[in-house]
Amino acid sequence: MVSKKNKKLITFQDTILNLQKYWSKNGCLVLQPYDIEVGAGTFHPATTLRSLGKEKWKAAYVQPSRRPSDGRYGENPNRLQHYYQFQVIIKPSPENIKKLFLDSLSSIGIDQNIHDIRFIEDDWESPTLGAAGLGWEVWCDGMEIAQFTYFQQMAGIQCNPVSVELTYGLERICMFVQDKASVYDLIWNLDGVLYKDIFKENEKQFSKYNFEFADIQNLFDTFNGLEKEAKNLLINRLPLPAYDQSLKASHVFNILDSRGAISIAQRAGYIARIRDLVKEVGEKWLEEKN
Amino acid sequence: MSEFFLELFTEEMPPALQKSAKEDLLQIFKDFLNQKNIAYHKINFSISTPNRLIIYFKSIQKEFSKKSEEIRGPRTNLDKASVEGFLKSKNITKKNIYIKNTKKGEFYFYKTPSINIKTKEVLKENIPLLLQKIKWKKSMRWAYHNLFWGRPLKSMMCLFDGSHLKYNFFHLKSSNKTFINKNDESKTVTFKNFASYKNYFSKFGIIVDDNERKLIIKKNIDKISKLKNFSSNINLKLLDEVANIVEKPKVILCTFDKKFLQIPNEIVKLTIEYHQKYFPVTDNRGNLLNYFFSVADKEDKFGFIKKGNEKVVTARLSDAEYFWKKNKSQSMLKRVSKLEKVNYFNGLGNYLDKTKRIKNLSSIISDELLISKEKVELASTICKVDLMSDLVKEFPEMQGVLGGYFAESQGFEKEVCLAISEHYLPSGLNSRIPKNDFSIALSLSDKIDTLVGFFGLNLVPSSSKDPYALRRLTIGLIKLIIENKKIFKLKELIDHSCQLYKNVSTKFDSKLVQKNLSIFIIERFKNYMKEKGIRQDIIESSSIDCDLNKIFIIFTKANKLNKVIEKQIGMDLIENYKRASNILNLEINLKEGDYIGSADPALFKNNFEKDLYKKIHDIRKDFTNINLENDYEGQLSLLASAKKEVVSFFDNVIVNDNDEIIKKNRLELLKMLCNTFDKYFNLKKVEFLNEKTSI
Repeated sequence: MVSKKNKKLITFQDTILNLQKYWSKNGCLVLQPYDIEVGAGTFHPATTLRSLGKEKWKAAYVQPSRRPSDGRYGENPNRLQHYYQFQVIIKPSPENIKKLFLDSLSSIGIDQNIHDIRFIEDDWESPTLGAAGLGWEVWCDGMEIAQFTYFQQMAGIQCNPVSVELTYGLERICMFVQDKASVYDLIWNLDGVLYKDIFKENEKQFSKYNFEFADIQNLFDTFNGLEKEAKNLLINRLPLPAYDQSLKASHVFNILDSRGAISIAQRAGYIARIRDLVKEVGEKWLEEKN
Repeated sequence: MSEFFLELFTEEMPPALQKSAKEDLLQIFKDFLNQKNIAYHKINFSISTPNRLIIYFKSIQKEFSKKSEEIRGPRTNLDKASVEGFLKSKNITKKNIYIKNTKKGEFYFYKTPSINIKTKEVLKENIPLLLQKIKWKKSMRWAYHNLFWGRPLKSMMCLFDGSHLKYNFFHLKSSNKTFINKNDESKTVTFKNFASYKNYFSKFGIIVDDNERKLIIKKNIDKISKLKNFSSNINLKLLDEVANIVEKPKVILCTFDKKFLQIPNEIVKLTIEYHQKYFPVTDNRGNLLNYFFSVADKEDKFGFIKKGNEKVVTARLSDAEYFWKKNKSQSMLKRVSKLEKVNYFNGLGNYLDKTKRIKNLSSIISDELLISKEKVELASTICKVDLMSDLVKEFPEMQGVLGGYFAESQGFEKEVCLAISEHYLPSGLNSRIPKNDFSIALSLSDKIDTLVGFFGLNLVPSSSKDPYALRRLTIGLIKLIIENKKIFKLKELIDHSCQLYKNVSTKFDSKLVQKNLSIFIIERFKNYMKEKGIRQDIIESSSIDCDLNKIFIIFTKANKLNKVIEKQIGMDLIENYKRASNILNLEINLKEGDYIGSADPALFKNNFEKDLYKKIHDIRKDFTNINLENDYEGQLSLLASAKKEVVSFFDNVIVNDNDEIIKKNRLELLKMLCNTFDKYFNLKKVEFLNEKTSI
């Protein structure tokens, strides 16, 4: 009998590889991260834009995600301004998606026979993307490890057929599986490289940037410039590059927000400006594709 | 009679949707059976697990007869074709019809035979329609399907009288089997009845009845609590929710590091209860302990679940502790000026502006309450500072409470801290009401400022929409005043609040704000009285010319009157008033202004008039007695005591004298009587239920 101590260690990179292998086996394209700063895997055009329209679509990818206001200068064991999500998007949602998802957990070391896996109501909404969905947060022994969402609307457009989106919080899952209390102690590979060896300094520097040094005036100007460019691109029927500008604007907005430069009253206005761009991107994307 | 049993299997349905769907659907079925005159046994219910919604009728009439019906055909004077059309449409021959004369003329009639109908057939046909009648608060589509349901509907097991009842619903077909494992839709098992179904699942520890699950959880928590000397109080709303997110509940006692009890306990509780859906534990004196109960959905064979649950709570509490330590030492006084950067509402300035207005108002209120102005102003100045803390950003529902904690740790006086902590209260239906005068002052001024501001921008609630929760705020304001038995010059405070907004750029129409806001407050006040069980006619009467400054007095008077209205004293006093006012209404009509309520004793012709006149004077004199000033029951008895004089007057005096001068004088005397009642309040709209017209 194999004792628990000898249980094979699943490193951070193995977790990614296992998920890629699992979803590849289940018919997904394995894509690479989008090369623009985004707040979540959902913003990758492989999810936002591909969830629109009638065509079937199955993709899986890692997406580095940035949430400037979640930075804690590397001092908090659970919060990061930069982290990784593993994202699966399938259109239409398969009938056996729940089973597929649960089996994927086994591939990364979470055995549903001994752990308490629960689906807790979480109706998701992204005002910036003009998106909404119904679904759950998935809890493992009380910890949220993933989100499971049936998209109902994206870029202001009703989804038909409906896609299902699975988002795994990779750090959370590894902390759970490797039994670590701090994200910085996660084991990245079998040579013993740790998460902190790679990212601790980043967290310190970017927290300083996000909270203290980001140039507010410059960012406001940048936001306006990006918006102008996106509009111009939309006029010229180039929704994909226009979408890039919207993503950049969204990130600029997030930094401004973490700098405390945006009042509650202004917030809604900025979010609406991004949403308006994304909506038009969605419409133009569907038109251009057909 | 036949058993009917329906199981709708979905992916995990949220507790609130489960609850409303199952209640809804059972009612829909009952209404349907009632409407069709199909009898059913009184044992019927709907139960659920996160994945299964079950509708159960112990027995339903197997067959029912449809009574014979008389159907009117065409007029007899119409051509043959229309008669043939009628025959054809009913699939009958000429033998089956007969002629009958009606008010509208002569017609052919057809009497349908009474027939026996199989309930099964009716259900088959109607279940798809019934299922679509569920009102979902939120519903969704999935894959290519057009069906909207709370969460993806995967199977429908439908049994009637032990066998499969077949029907189609969108892309789904009903069956006589269901999935065994909620997470694996490949294995199914066939069932014939509810008992075997229930038994089958209980063998696996799955309890399909949510009520049973609730009892099990409660029992297990109680057992451990008793052993450990914990308080047995648990949050019943949470119990409801938790019972609906598990199918095989296992209670686990977990702990966390005692050091986290240093964090404001409300935060610890919120983390455990609201975020994690675990049960916090207190000792028998209500002190929070470093334990909690979690309810897992399976046996924790290796202790992993307990460990995981504890880890999550620890992680969350560490986060809160980090912020608590950081925020509690940030000087509140120094941070006040930073409120300038926090916008309150477009057109109503920033939070520093609001703070200044609140300070100004509560300073006036402190004069009315005779409490220290310095302390009230200090509390007002720093009461919004916590909005800028990380902790309030993390736990927005803890605004105010956290401000109180910060103030306490910075050494402010107890009453200042309490006032900050309580200044959003009362906030909901069952919310606690601040009792301390400092808290009352701060809460009142914050609420008045908000109401005046939003009414100033004309963002007035409509009948269906109240996005800024002004209705709730107003009810809070009313409760604050009445339940603390306070008399505030509310009208003047509102006037003053309007003036304070003059400094903000907005141009307020102060007169309009005052008018609309007092109408709004009085409407809510009437609602409040209604909730307190006061009769509608008393409410209406008491709020004639309602003076905002006196709502506590008006409420008390209405309440006292309500208590005695059906007793002798109440009936007497209403009778006294009504006999006089009825005759006045009849005689005076439009010329009311001519009557001032002053009779001339020199014109009295008999003792009945004189006695009544004297009694009125006595009552009026007694009303000025200082002992009676706040004794509303005494006032009511006093008004009732005129019964003898009133009765004698009406029994012996004819008001309608031939001499106009005498008649007018008698009406003046009655007017005088009515006006005396106004010293309590205008009784015009109060109904006298045993009214005998006695003119």
